[in-house]
Amino acid sequence: MLFPTVTFAVFFSVVLPLSWALMRRQRVWRAFIIAASYVFYGWWDWRFVFLLVASTVVNHVLAVALYRTRPVAARKTLLALAVGFDLGILAYFKYTDFFLSSFDNVAGTSWLTNVTLPVGVSFYTFMAISYVVDTYRGQLVPASFARFAVFQAFFPHLVAGPIVRASELLPQLEEPRDPRRVDTSRAFFLIVSGLFLKVVIANHLATHIVDDVFAAPDRHSSLEVLVAIYGYAVQIFADFCGYTNIAIGVALLLGFEFPQNFESPYTAVTLQDFWRRWHMTLSRWLRDYLYIPLGGSRKGRLATYRNLMLTMLLGGLWHGAAWTFVVWGGIHGVGLCVERALGWRPHTRRQLWLGRLLTFHVVCLGWIFFRASSFGNARDVIVRLFDAWGQPSPLVTTSVVLAIAVGIGVQYVRPGVLVGLLGGFGRMPVVAQAACVAVALVLIDTLGPTGVAPFIYFRF
Amino acid sequence: MLPANRGIAVLLLSLVMAAFLQADGLRKQATIQAAGLQRNVALAVTKPLDSVSRALHLTTPRHELQVAIGRSHEDDVNTTVAFASPPPRPAAKPRPKPKPTRPVDARPLFTAAHPLRVWVGGDSLAEVPGQALQRVGSEVDVVGVESRLSTGLARPDLYNWFSRIQQVPQQFHPNVVVLSFGADDAHNYLAGVPAGTHVGPLGSRSWDAEYERRVEGITAELNAKGIYVVWLGLPNTDHHGFRASFPVVNRIIEQVVARHRALATFVNTWTLLSDSHGHYASYLRVHGQLTQVRLSDGTHYTPAGGDLIARQVLGQLGAVYRLRG
Repeated sequence: MLFPTVTFAVFFSVVLPLSWALMRRQRVWRAFIIAASYVFYGWWDWRFVFLLVASTVVNHVLAVALYRTRPVAARKTLLALAVGFDLGILAYFKYTDFFLSSFDNVAGTSWLTNVTLPVGVSFYTFMAISYVVDTYRGQLVPASFARFAVFQAFFPHLVAGPIVRASELLPQLEEPRDPRRVDTSRAFFLIVSGLFLKVVIANHLATHIVDDVFAAPDRHSSLEVLVAIYGYAVQIFADFCGYTNIAIGVALLLGFEFPQNFESPYTAVTLQDFWRRWHMTLSRWLRDYLYIPLGGSRKGRLATYRNLMLTMLLGGLWHGAAWTFVVWGGIHGVGLCVERALGWRPHTRRQLWLGRLLTFHVVCLGWIFFRASSFGNARDVIVRLFDAWGQPSPLVTTSVVLAIAVGIGVQYVRPGVLVGLLGGFGRMPVVAQAACVAVALVLIDTLGPTGVAPFIYFRF
Repeated sequence: MLPANRGIAVLLLSLVMAAFLQADGLRKQATIQAAGLQRNVALAVTKPLDSVSRALHLTTPRHELQVAIGRSHEDDVNTTVAFASPPPRPAAKPRPKPKPTRPVDARPLFTAAHPLRVWVGGDSLAEVPGQALQRVGSEVDVVGVESRLSTGLARPDLYNWFSRIQQVPQQFHPNVVVLSFGADDAHNYLAGVPAGTHVGPLGSRSWDAEYERRVEGITAELNAKGIYVVWLGLPNTDHHGFRASFPVVNRIIEQVVARHRALATFVNTWTLLSDSHGHYASYLRVHGQLTQVRLSDGTHYTPAGGDLIARQVLGQLGAVYRLRG
């Protein structure tokens, strides 16, 4: 089920009041929200609900066993079993054909299996891994099965994040949520802004320049290629930030607080700063469950560079089963190492702007590989960027430039402006609030291209 | 009022208000759904909604906005399946065989400097091959790729390709039109059926006849304007339901193309993208390298899959045109 559809509007109109009506009867509420989440997930392909259930059962059983076991060796075995099971799911559904095709190409064999990728598998698998690892580390007491099932399947975050920690969501599942503590103004702002980013900005850029240019770069001018690269940078931000804004807003209305996932990433002054602002829940997952266990920056300069590179390369591979994603991760890894080696920390106003400009363009270079269908396609885009200046550029229209400007401009809006706006919205009577939301929904639907394009991060 | 209740009230009220403000759009959404309970319920709900909304002029602001951005007809539902020129009748007498002459290559020549103008249209399966044609054929000028998700020839109420294709010759002056339809047509419901005609389920004789009339109409209409038509068949798929229904559409298109051999061709993507055993394959060996040709949904093409189709299209066009890159 996709968020910007009538189907989801009907689904949520039923689930929201029922959720609050059942909230005080927690056992019933948990059963209800699990069922609702499975319906939400099964709407896409009901067969994969069984995979989700299997993941929940196995991880819960192993986490409880882990908690009750004292001998270190046995605990390590249980942890290895749980992580192996989760990575096994990922490896089978996401990487089987990728690795087999790479192997087949070298060995001349033919082992391919044609596996269909279940939506959201990377997200809920990472959440499960964090749950068992935190239990192993003694940072978490395993929850009841029903609570863990809600934690893993809760529909707002299920298919594309944010990657919520057990320590963030499980405590919220201990007691009924307080109906007096729901920030509805922020929730509606997040939902409406998310819809605007996805439906108007991301879809417009995809259909009006990005898809055409990346499909056949040598048929377009250098200016079109440059604007398409900037356009994709804004498209992927608007698409993914839009999705997680809606997810966070929907969770807020249900009474739950999710962590923030984006914080104006294109205002970052260094790559390190960028990764503190972009897909923040993935960044901290990679930091806590990969970079730090590898040794982080504690084992000398060379080991730090190795750990940074490994983390970014594996982070790239997490995004998709293709070598272009590995190169994307490599570009960020090298950039982070170079920043660390040079000790680059911009301070003055001029340095800050230089840093923003430089960081944005390194990020854009990475996006070329992220978006390209192959290395050949990425090479064509880069070559075309330089060899066709002065040619007509019919795809560079006012609406495209405006969409890019808005997509970047919103990241420079001071938080204080939003606080004022939300305060004003919060003081309105219910009918006026509803009218504002209704007008916004109609505007978004009318201005957006027809049809609902899937979210980019669904396939990760 | 408790904030949680306020949230529920604002959500429900805003959705009701938005429903009135865009009743036209919702009515269209209801109309273009696949036949079934969901469509019946949606139609029953949106009919009074649309009537009340129009009576109170609540749809006017949205319509004015649509006019301002040049999309004033977006909420129209046009189910007309009409063709500008009637399909040609079969010849009454067999023509005398021409005397054998010295073979002369009469195929028109197209080069990078004087490219073949190609327009590509269809459902979501049209997009990638259309973009691939731009990429792989320097002797081809792709003057437009129009790919509309979930549309086809069965549901002109969703998007009327019959009207659209009539505009294409004048708008783009193509030599060749490449069409990819059918992935969203392989179901029981056909809109725009002539009054008094009953059409049975997919695969029934009446369904086949009506779908064939539509494919025939488009082909004949474009041929009458001197435009060569390339029909892309539906590919082998990982989707269980489609594996049975796609061949129905392919068979009909092939039959029509067989009647228009001089000015139409059928590209058999089913065979092209299957493995050596005729099974679905998401990876195929291309130039010795295993290459992913299908997306993870098991139906749509990757750019590499599009390239294979585009090369096949150019190969088949080579029988009619001399193409020199």
